[in-house]
Amino acid sequence: MTIVATAAPRRSSGQLGHRIRIVTGVAITLLFLFPVFWMVLTSFKHQVDIFTSPPKFFFTPTISTYVEYFRRADIERRLINTVIVAAGSGLLSIVVGTMAGYALARIRLRGAATFGVLILLSRGVPPIALAVPMFLVARQLGLTDKHITLILAYSTFLIPYVMWLMRSFFLSLPRELEESAMIDGCSRYGAFFKIILPISLPGLISTLIFSMILAWEELLFALVLTNRVASTIPVAIAGIAGDTINGANWGALTAVGTITVVPVVIFALLVQKWLIQGLADGATKG
Amino acid sequence: MGTVDIRNVRKSYGNVEVLHGVSLHINDGEFVALVGPSGCGKSTLLRMIAGLEDITAGDIVISDRLVNHVAPKDRNIAMVFQNYALYPHMNVRDNMGFALRQRRMSKPEIESRVNNAARILGLEHLLDRKPRALSGGQRQRVAMGRAIVREPNVFLFDEPLSNLDAKLRVQMRSEIKELHQRLKTTTVYVTHDQIEAMTLADRVVVMNGGVIEQQGSPLELYDSPASRFVAAFIGSPPMNFIEGSVVNGSHVRLEDGTTLHVPANNLGDKGRATIGVRPEHFELSDAGWPATVSVVEPTGSETQITARMSGQVVRILIRGRTFVQPGEVIHLTVPPDLIHIFDDSGTPRIHVSTRGIKQHA
Repeated sequence: MTIVATAAPRRSSGQLGHRIRIVTGVAITLLFLFPVFWMVLTSFKHQVDIFTSPPKFFFTPTISTYVEYFRRADIERRLINTVIVAAGSGLLSIVVGTMAGYALARIRLRGAATFGVLILLSRGVPPIALAVPMFLVARQLGLTDKHITLILAYSTFLIPYVMWLMRSFFLSLPRELEESAMIDGCSRYGAFFKIILPISLPGLISTLIFSMILAWEELLFALVLTNRVASTIPVAIAGIAGDTINGANWGALTAVGTITVVPVVIFALLVQKWLIQGLADGATKG
Repeated sequence: MGTVDIRNVRKSYGNVEVLHGVSLHINDGEFVALVGPSGCGKSTLLRMIAGLEDITAGDIVISDRLVNHVAPKDRNIAMVFQNYALYPHMNVRDNMGFALRQRRMSKPEIESRVNNAARILGLEHLLDRKPRALSGGQRQRVAMGRAIVREPNVFLFDEPLSNLDAKLRVQMRSEIKELHQRLKTTTVYVTHDQIEAMTLADRVVVMNGGVIEQQGSPLELYDSPASRFVAAFIGSPPMNFIEGSVVNGSHVRLEDGTTLHVPANNLGDKGRATIGVRPEHFELSDAGWPATVSVVEPTGSETQITARMSGQVVRILIRGRTFVQPGEVIHLTVPPDLIHIFDDSGTPRIHVSTRGIKQHA
């Protein structure tokens, strides 16, 4: 995580203010990070250490919960499933959403603005209201418990998301870039693929990453549309948390939770360069 | 060889018509400037020539070929945009060679054309730089280089100097002129700056409200404006307009009763009239139109005087130095052939000045 301090260093009173801001910032960050910290900490505790009062910060760590639940909760298969679904829906959405966003940003069409807003409004429908109809459709088509079903289901909310992000990204690019390319010998598609896409790469990649993270942690559709074969990690967590027979196993819950978070963190660190560039480099004007 | 023939072209956005039937013929090798206030339709017309805007009605013919439905890439034109529109992910060499690569030209040919253009524009040492590492003037040159390598029928410029600071603008202006004298490519140049239009163009086309007000050589427009609008638009500092009404055929009476003798043959009958005089055409004299000096601004080579004539502000430009003081009453005369008279609709009541045309014809 990068904290960017923009305040220019000033003399004594200013420096005090600067310090207060930094301390406050760090305090707020720690507050928000505490649940994550507690999750990771708990996942390494023996069952007996979890419920002590006051809570223990120092204990003999164990990875027994990990070892046990990695097998019991079918984590390996679920991890692969989650990767397939997140990558699949992320890629599908980025392809469709980017082209749709470009069309909305650039092509003068009667009703295009209304259409765009309607697509955005479709996200206002609570997913739970769609989950059951979607399940019925999937069952009729014989598509329950399949990767493609989840990929398509996730695309219903990822495509509008990508479309709107990329639309504003394209709007920030000067129109003359494509016009110049079209005079230089490109068709509109040529201008899009040879000029606009390469320039949009940082924005494109950060949008892809956010989409994949959204898909990675999605629970509701995965719960309704998959059973065993295509089931994802969040479903496993929900299963452990909602175990009404044995009661929630906190150790297992936090261990699987940690397993869910770690790939995302590693991934985010790997693509950090693109993320930051994508956020800061919205316009390449001039 | 590049000619452009614009025949009764109209443009509408929905119900709003922004070009009301424009016709213009541009000869091979000619440098034509489209000039006018913002919203006059000059950029729209240029973009229609480029193929970036649809033509609502009328025809555009480039080099004897009707291009109404021809894609921009197939019109063999090159365009320089106000914001340059350089491709940010390509270095200068690739920016200039892009159009040639699109046409699948051979590598050595591209190389030689790019190098040639870079040499003309003094960009040789910058070929490997990305646009963001260039100054405004350098980006402008790259944009021109991108146009030159194409060897197109027509160059289109859309306010190419507006993003530069004043000093650089003057420098680039003469570079563009030099380039045109060297390449002799037909050029259509859009600008809102009348000085740019006057100094660059063989022919200036003044547009206003979606129609052509007047076209002609820079000096024709300066000497014989066809309307009050053109008179006000062309020339810097702008022409003075003194409002009054005609009395007995050769006098104009101002609001406070002052009567100015206008040494012209015939002002017509009674009615409202506006006298137009360029600041540089006034002469100080012992007798003539009275005016009270309010500000004197010497610049060394000339002196600008702001004065009031019956409550109306007039600017006077005197070559050299003068010793009038604020508050002083001066008398102004104007050579008869340099006085313009406009009626209420802004059309000239009489064409007093025919000097320029006669001398240059």
